[in-house]
Amino acid sequence: MSLTKEQMITLYTNLVRADRFGKMMYSRMMQGKLIGFYHPADGAIAPGVGACSFLNDDDILFPHHRGHGITHMLSKGIDVQPYIAEHAGKATGCCRGRAAWHYAFPEHNVYGTTAYIGHNFVPVTGFGWAAKRNAKGQVVMNCFGDGAMGTGRAHEGLLMSSIWDLPIVHLCENNGFAIFAEAEEMHPTEDMATVAQGLDIPSVVIDGQDVFAVAEAVNAAVDSARSGGGPTFIEAKTLRFKEHDIGNRDLRGWKPRPQEEYDEMHKRDPVLLATERVLEDKILTQSVIDKIHQDAEAEVDAAVQFADESPIESPTEEELLADVYAPR
Amino acid sequence: MREMTFINAIREAIEQEMRRDDSVFVVGQDIRGGVYPHTLGLIDEFGPDRIVDTPIAETAMHGVAFGSALLGYRPIVDFMFASTSMTAFTETAVMSGQQYFLHGSKQPVPLVMTGAWGIGKRTANDHAMPIHGYYSRAPGLKVCMPSTPHDAKGLFTAAIRDNNPVMIPWCTGIMMLKGDVPEEPYEIPIDKASVKQEGSDVTVLANSEQLQFALKVAIKLAGEISVEVIDPISFAPIDMETILTSLEKTNRLVVVDEDWESGGFASTVSARVMEQGFDLLDAPVTRVTFPNMPIPGGYMEDYLRPNPEKIEAAIRAVCA
Repeated sequence: MSLTKEQMITLYTNLVRADRFGKMMYSRMMQGKLIGFYHPADGAIAPGVGACSFLNDDDILFPHHRGHGITHMLSKGIDVQPYIAEHAGKATGCCRGRAAWHYAFPEHNVYGTTAYIGHNFVPVTGFGWAAKRNAKGQVVMNCFGDGAMGTGRAHEGLLMSSIWDLPIVHLCENNGFAIFAEAEEMHPTEDMATVAQGLDIPSVVIDGQDVFAVAEAVNAAVDSARSGGGPTFIEAKTLRFKEHDIGNRDLRGWKPRPQEEYDEMHKRDPVLLATERVLEDKILTQSVIDKIHQDAEAEVDAAVQFADESPIESPTEEELLADVYAPR
Repeated sequence: MREMTFINAIREAIEQEMRRDDSVFVVGQDIRGGVYPHTLGLIDEFGPDRIVDTPIAETAMHGVAFGSALLGYRPIVDFMFASTSMTAFTETAVMSGQQYFLHGSKQPVPLVMTGAWGIGKRTANDHAMPIHGYYSRAPGLKVCMPSTPHDAKGLFTAAIRDNNPVMIPWCTGIMMLKGDVPEEPYEIPIDKASVKQEGSDVTVLANSEQLQFALKVAIKLAGEISVEVIDPISFAPIDMETILTSLEKTNRLVVVDEDWESGGFASTVSARVMEQGFDLLDAPVTRVTFPNMPIPGGYMEDYLRPNPEKIEAAIRAVCA
């Protein structure tokens, strides 16, 4: 299934936006303006953009932790300003400054992320179950990395999605690393998709640096899920340009990654590849591309300004305690 | 009034709430066949979409409930044995409890978790272990437990209607206990202790089968020592008001709990009474609990478990 020109423009625009937001988050973390950790997505933004750019608002998303899901959310059409504010601990944050970086946007069907790798498979099982029973054609986008595939939760979630034909797209953003540990050392097969195949889930392995390839694969999987075809497992092979989390070392196993590895990786920068493609296919002109970059920068600047100018809430202990339980 | 067993009172609560509200459903393992009677036969009326059997995969099984609760359903996740919920502890305790508050107190998580426990059936640690102590330390969860058939129906009804994750285990030792249960649906407050026997010399807190033991001891000691017996019902949050009000009258407290001695309900109540009601006490608070060791199977548990003799001895000691 080929993409329309409009779809390619949407994907390219979201890719540029994700790239700009990622670079901003990196520099703000270095400036000490973000709370907690930041796990940069540099080099690995194409899977999230390709997966989420054509989701409906009532589709349910569990974003990948890399890039803190900003890529996924902005592609789904969520205004991420309140998340940038949340990451700065501000009162205007999407979780009123309480989540730091494990946010939720329930009004857009994003129900929270977590530090527990592989936990995504747990709620998405319920999202899929509910979406199927709702019978409104909702689809669940479940995003995770190769590290999550080591957990028992992955087996349990894939198992239930398979036996019940749940409308879930499992998107494995395989960058080859879990912190320092190499996927090829921690998994017996090169492709994580073999696990899904063993559970009778249709699977594809694609180039995760090519945002258009991701979108084509995901659109097919989403169409299948919407029409009752059950889950699909998509493994997008991607790259990690930077360290696992900012301030950490960037090792392969226990040794620094060699410079040649970075040089080689950057030739496969997803923005670079997409720019070449849209120019080659005459989808966009250089001047329009420049405009997309300028707009993205303005959007990022506005989000930063919003976060910086927002106040920090100062509730009492009693006020916070009164918020622990939901009212009847 | 109509008599009913404790376990059938739970069943009636689930059945009536499922009839009342289409978003209520049960997920568990072999609940269609009904390993325990509280789900027996529900499949016939509600079908497999609402009586959902899963593979033996407790974490994703909890996920069916947790995820669907976030999308507006009101699930009951039945772990069969409460101890097996520990397999999914990150999800049952941590994720369920923190979800609402950490995300800005905007979206409720109407989720009921249940399972059986019970020392005294000679089944050993894996099947017997009490879990209310573990879960009562998980912020954001409500933890409550019924000890009579009447309370079983009312508490399960209230738990299903509550907008928070509620852990409500039940004790196998009182599974077949009979008592009066009204036919119409009703609620018992899930965060309030209940005075089961009024008295003036000593307050005894006891739950589940130990409540029955405490009530028997109170009858035995009548005329000699006047024992007030309170069922705490709620383990998170703890209803200190009812406990302190009772102590104003009795000035003596025995806390009975089959949970382990360390870090449980009895310890928390002891500390809070010292902080909030030290001047009310005429004697140190005494705890009757399970020692800090794995619950053995066979006949060994008899030597360790709280029982009427130990409760009586504790009462006599604080009243001496």
